[in-house]
Amino acid sequence: MPRVVCDIPELLDRAPCGFVSFGDDACITLVNTTLLDRLGYGRDELLGKHVEMLFTRAAQIFYQTHLFPLVKLHGRVDELFLLAQTKGGEELGYLCSAVRYERDGLPAIDCVLFEVRERRRFEDALLAAKRVAEQANAQLEAQALELEMQQQLLQEQTAELERANRAKGEFMATMSHELRTPLNAIGGYAQLLEGGVYGPVNPEQVQAIGRIMRGQRRLLGLINAVLNLARVESGRIEFTLVDLPLGEIVGELAVMIEPQMAAKGLVYRVELPEDMPIVRADREKLVQVLLNLLSNAIKFTESGGGITLRVVVDPSRADTARIEVADTGRGIPVDRVEAVFEPFVQVRSAQSRGGEGTGLGLAISRKLARGMGGDLTATSELGKGSTFIVTLPRIDAA
Amino acid sequence: MSVNVLERNNVAVSGRGTQPMLFAHGFGCDQHMWRFVAPAFEDDYRVVLFDYVGGGGSDASAYDPKRYSSLDGYAQDVLDVIHALDLRDVIFVGHSVSSMIGILAANREPDRFARLILIGPSPRYINDPPYVGGFERKDIDGLFDMMDRNFIGWANFLAPAIMKNPDRPELGEELVESFCSTDPVIARRFAEATFYADNRRDLAAVRVPSLILQCTDDMVAPLPVGRYLDAQLPHSTMRIMSATGHCPHMSHPEETIALISEYLQPATVSA
Repeated sequence: MPRVVCDIPELLDRAPCGFVSFGDDACITLVNTTLLDRLGYGRDELLGKHVEMLFTRAAQIFYQTHLFPLVKLHGRVDELFLLAQTKGGEELGYLCSAVRYERDGLPAIDCVLFEVRERRRFEDALLAAKRVAEQANAQLEAQALELEMQQQLLQEQTAELERANRAKGEFMATMSHELRTPLNAIGGYAQLLEGGVYGPVNPEQVQAIGRIMRGQRRLLGLINAVLNLARVESGRIEFTLVDLPLGEIVGELAVMIEPQMAAKGLVYRVELPEDMPIVRADREKLVQVLLNLLSNAIKFTESGGGITLRVVVDPSRADTARIEVADTGRGIPVDRVEAVFEPFVQVRSAQSRGGEGTGLGLAISRKLARGMGGDLTATSELGKGSTFIVTLPRIDAA
Repeated sequence: MSVNVLERNNVAVSGRGTQPMLFAHGFGCDQHMWRFVAPAFEDDYRVVLFDYVGGGGSDASAYDPKRYSSLDGYAQDVLDVIHALDLRDVIFVGHSVSSMIGILAANREPDRFARLILIGPSPRYINDPPYVGGFERKDIDGLFDMMDRNFIGWANFLAPAIMKNPDRPELGEELVESFCSTDPVIARRFAEATFYADNRRDLAAVRVPSLILQCTDDMVAPLPVGRYLDAQLPHSTMRIMSATGHCPHMSHPEETIALISEYLQPATVSA
């Protein structure tokens, strides 16, 4: 038979918190009026009954798995949150502190229950925020994992691409070399034939030999360009950077380019600033780039047109010098301007039929300009000519 | 490996007998819950106590969320301990969820087990008509909510407790070991693995004889659950205890000891 104690001190009976005492068997031996009133029970309905009947189903599990084992092993628990249930079925939140000790030779668990209303609302908000944060955190972790996997994939792909690119470069270099040897033989023997080394040649044969030699030269030029590009792309080009007064370069170029200009009936203009800048560049490669740009301009500008070589110093970009090659040719459609820097791309136009050139010059030139710490860009508009702009780092910057 | 398991699961061996009795704690506590029962068997048995990974004095760094997302991971802990000590003829004593964990382990390696003693077992807590588990899903969700609320912060009942020594004031305050301590996240996952589990289909395969200790008025594992288990488990014996509640080994240790001893008597004689 459960032990029932009915006398409860007046102070405890009306204290502003619930009080209930029970044994290890959970049978209630004492309960105060405050708790009885709040839960809607009469004292006789609870004395001798299991304390679990005051709790919700969830709290009954919590009592058996946490509260009772803890109080039995530790002798006390502090501030456990429990959901109680009134006789009418309403759920009430309680903070529960309990101690276990021997009273009259038997174990007694005395339990104080503080009802939590306002702080429960606060806890609800806190818990909701915590769950949102946890969810967001889980999402972030998943995203981070995904990103990491993508990055790994990307790294693998990059490595694969680099390998493929190197293989391509090596293949191109090897092939160019293998092609040049027989081509040189063709050129050499054609020359010998033309010179009559192997006997007299008639005019038809001379004409034919001339065609062979032109074809050979064209093919050799193409192969040299491919070899160049392959070298640039595989990073095997070395740059000898020196301090270079641009005035010298402009003078050199004029000598080389003016005969071709005159032959095609083009007007060549040079526009220079008062203080010619000094740039940091590889002399040979800069000349190669500018010659390429000027040759292109000559190629794509019709007789009577003009070509301008311009050195510009922009005060707002004092660390950079700009060399522009502008022509009055037919220009490039705006949406195709960037494409001319791709290897093997020639923007078709009336002037370029016949497809002279390798389509590699601009690709190589841009790579060379970038290799010197500068860049090669273009602006153009169909019918209004093109301007190619080489930028280079200035070392005499104010 | 075996040393690691012994440390990982905080294994404690005692007793003067040879046949091992392996005690497995339930959800919410650790091996300390056996302190009122296990010593009674030390004269006749080799008593083995342990904590599941994530509970009590176990090595929490060994916790693997995936492994312990179902009771199978916990059953592996039981088998790991059995292998580490090379236990045979094991009398397995499991409380609450550990009853099912013991059944899963015994089904995997039945030859290791001699008897299963199941205290307050339930193969499924949530009702599934006509099966009566005792709870609706919302009740279980309510439990998780209550756990979360208790883990918010101020209910730091899991931290080591300061115990006052009023009888011997010269000792001042003493830092006592915290029983049943657990990591909130791990506890929450263990609760999910426990209360969402459905092990009804594992019962028919049990070859090891078992004792079901069914309490009177157990709100967690009510009588219909005990009867269901007794009907489904081959070679089972059910004893309805006069003890009430869900933790008779803590609330009514004498009766628990007596019933286990009584059940083991023939087994001990034949061994």
